[in-house]
Formats: sequence, structure tokens, C-alpha cells
Amino acid sequence: MNCEAIGELMPDYLQGRLNSEMANEVEKHLAGCQSCGEEAALWKNLALLPEEQPSPALQTRFKAMLESYEEGRWEKTSLAAERRKVPTAMLWGLGNWKQIPFAGVVWACVFLVCGFLIGRHSDRGPDTTAQTQLNGMRQELTATRQMVALSMLQQQSASQRLEGVSWSARLQQPDPKVMDALLHTLRFDNSVDVRLASLDALSRYAGRPDVRRELLDSLQDKQSPLVQIALIDLLVDLHDRSAVPQFKKFQQDPKIDPTVRKRVDWGIQQLN
Amino acid sequence: MSDEELMSQVRNGIGEMLGVLFERYHVPLFNFYLKLTGERMVSEDLVQEVFFRILKYRHSYRADTPFRAWMYQIARNARIDHFRKQRSETSWEPEMSPVIEPVDTAQQSQEAILLHRALTQLSDDKREVLVLSRFQDLKYEEIAQLLGCEVGTVKTRVHRALQELRQIFNQMGSGKPGSRKGSEGARPGSVQ
Repeated sequence: MNCEAIGELMPDYLQGRLNSEMANEVEKHLAGCQSCGEEAALWKNLALLPEEQPSPALQTRFKAMLESYEEGRWEKTSLAAERRKVPTAMLWGLGNWKQIPFAGVVWACVFLVCGFLIGRHSDRGPDTTAQTQLNGMRQELTATRQMVALSMLQQQSASQRLEGVSWSARLQQPDPKVMDALLHTLRFDNSVDVRLASLDALSRYAGRPDVRRELLDSLQDKQSPLVQIALIDLLVDLHDRSAVPQFKKFQQDPKIDPTVRKRVDWGIQQLN
Repeated sequence: MSDEELMSQVRNGIGEMLGVLFERYHVPLFNFYLKLTGERMVSEDLVQEVFFRILKYRHSYRADTPFRAWMYQIARNARIDHFRKQRSETSWEPEMSPVIEPVDTAQQSQEAILLHRALTQLSDDKREVLVLSRFQDLKYEEIAQLLGCEVGTVKTRVHRALQELRQIFNQMGSGKPGSRKGSEGARPGSVQ
């Protein structure tokens, strides 16, 4: 058999789905043909790639989602029971109409409009319920993300705190607790990497005056020069001229690193 | 209990059965996404999204369809939606090309690292069909159903993907993968 014919059989051979006679044919070819042999070997060697494990946060998030579903389900059952009452009300109305024949046309119109409205209402009912439920679940997911971010920011290992910082970046609108935790991390975390990462995360909200004020406040001589420079750069990027007085004060600080002092000089020039 | 029985129970409102399915499939799904995207965070988000959608669309599950095929259908759609959304938000990356993720080099052989790198350089559709057939344990018939094409097309794509992978791998200037071929004559299909 030539390579083309083997190529057609190869996928079945690789999944072990050829009969022994055909498989032998393929193997005979593989032994003699370098390129086909390499392809088969590659398939086999892909098994060398290890199976990776997700972080424990995935498990937590899934459980939170399942719980919110379990809670939401009961609401839906009770609403479904209420909806069942609607047709009974309509029958009662029809009974009345038979007793007042002269007003028949008027009643017919009233019922038509009512039926239309009720129909529309009961049509939309389950959709909006499902929508509310989904929104509820989404909100709970956000809450879980915040919880994960917060708890990870308090971990012992720096890599876990780093992950906490990146969790916070997944939040569209972080709540004040997460912001506080990030600002606290920026000032007090033992690891420079984590502090830099939290500064990066905070820079997304630097448009907010309160965040900017906090950032400016954290420019202190106790900080690592790396973080100081990153802070100066960020404040310059934001064209925040109110930073100039703080910069000047900081520049006078005898304890700061010469490189940082140069950066502040540069920063003051940029902002003026 | 089979996947299908579990999912039927989920459909009937017994949510906790989804926990069993989660235990069975969250790691395979995570690895599926990780091989396709190369990003751990994105992969975890997508796994969460799959289980969210399974709950959301539980009524559309029919007891006579294989659960795995249904789940991977959802998984593919979730990924497509994710990248469509991402593309509309960020214009700088038009392709779904994965980043080369940092791997724990101490624990992996040189060959595994090269293979991993070669896999990330494969074009997106070829990588997907290879991952589905090699790692997710799906039969060609199931993949055909998933991709909406003929079984023969899937086989051709698998073979082309392997050919391309071989070229990339050899261009990396490493040793020859053929030299490690099982001389004991074991069927590659039996190696997992």
C-alpha cells in the first residue's frame, strides 16, 4: 500500500479500530515509511502531555451556582401554580356574559381585549421569570467572584494572592470591599510582584477620584522603588495635575532612591 | 449511573445530579479548553459557562442523545461565543491563537514541551479536531455529529492535522519522534 492509502486507514488505526489483518498492513508500512511512521509516533506521544488540574476556585464557583439554582427553582414552581388560576377567571367571566345578552357585543369586546392582555401576560410570564432567575444567578456569580478575590488576597502564598488580584480584574464593578483589599495589598503586601499586580488592577479604576487619591497617598518612601516608579508613571499617564504638589513633597524626601528621584523630576516636568 | 440517566434527572429538576456530572467532566473539559486556548483562567471560566448552560438549557436535552456529544456541543458553542465577544471588545487579536502558557518544565520531558509547543502552532480547526479525537476520547462519528460533517471528512482532517503537526515538530529541530515508536507492536489506539 502507498502512503495515500495508508493515510486513509491511519485515523482508524490510531483509534485502534481496524481489524488485525488491516492493522498489520498498516504497521508493515509504518515500519518502512519514515513520514507515516513519524505521524503515528506523534499521535502516540501526545499521551506525554500531562493532564492539568484546574484551581479549587472552579469547584467553589460551581457549587455557588448550583445552590443559587436550587433556591431559584422553588420560586418558579410557586409562580407556575399562580398562573394556573388565570383560565378559571376567564370562565367565570364567560358565565356572566351569558346572563346579560343585550350587552353581548360590549362584553365580547371587553373579553377580547382582556383575553389578549392576559394571553400576553401569561405568555411573557415564564420568560421574565426565567430572566429574573438568570439575572439572579449572574449576580450570585459576581458575588462568588468577589468572595474568591477577597479570600485569595488573604492567602499565605504570593502566587495565590497574585491570583486573587487577577480574580478582581474579572469583576466589571468591584465592590468597595474588593477595592479596599486591593489598596491594602498595594501598600502592605510582602511581595513586590503582588503589589505591582494590584497597582495594575487598580489602574483600571484610576478614573475614579477616590481611587486616584488613594494611589497618590500610597506614594511613600517605604514603598519599593519599583512600585514607586510604576505609581509615578501611572499618575503621569492619567495627566493628573493635582499630583504635582505630592510629587514635589516626595522629591524632597531624603530617603528615596536616586533613580526614583529622577523619575519624579521627569513626572513633574510632564505634568507642568 | 450513566451520564444520560444523570442528565435526565437534572432535566427533571434534580439539580444536585449535576454535581456528579461536574465531577466526571470538569477536568476533561478544562483540559479541552486549555489545549485550545492555552489560558488557564479563560479555560476555567468556560468550564463554568458550560455547566451554567447545561442548567439553562436542560429542557432541550433528550434522553436518547449521548450526553457527552451534547455537552461538547455546548462546550464548542460556549467557546465560539466567548471569542466572538472578546473579539468585539478587543480589536487587537483577530485570531484565536493560543498563547504559549508557562508549563512546569521540571516535571515534563523535553519532548512533551516541544509537542505542546507544536500543538499550539497548529491552526485552530486542526488543533480542535486533534484534541477532540486524541484527548477527549470522542469517536469520529461523534466528532462528525459535533462539527456537522461527514465521518470521512473528520478522518481526513485528523490525518491532515497530524501531517501538519509533524512538519511543525520537525521544524523545531528536535529529535525524531519516530525513534520512540513502540517496537513491541502495541496498537497506538490502546495507549491513553
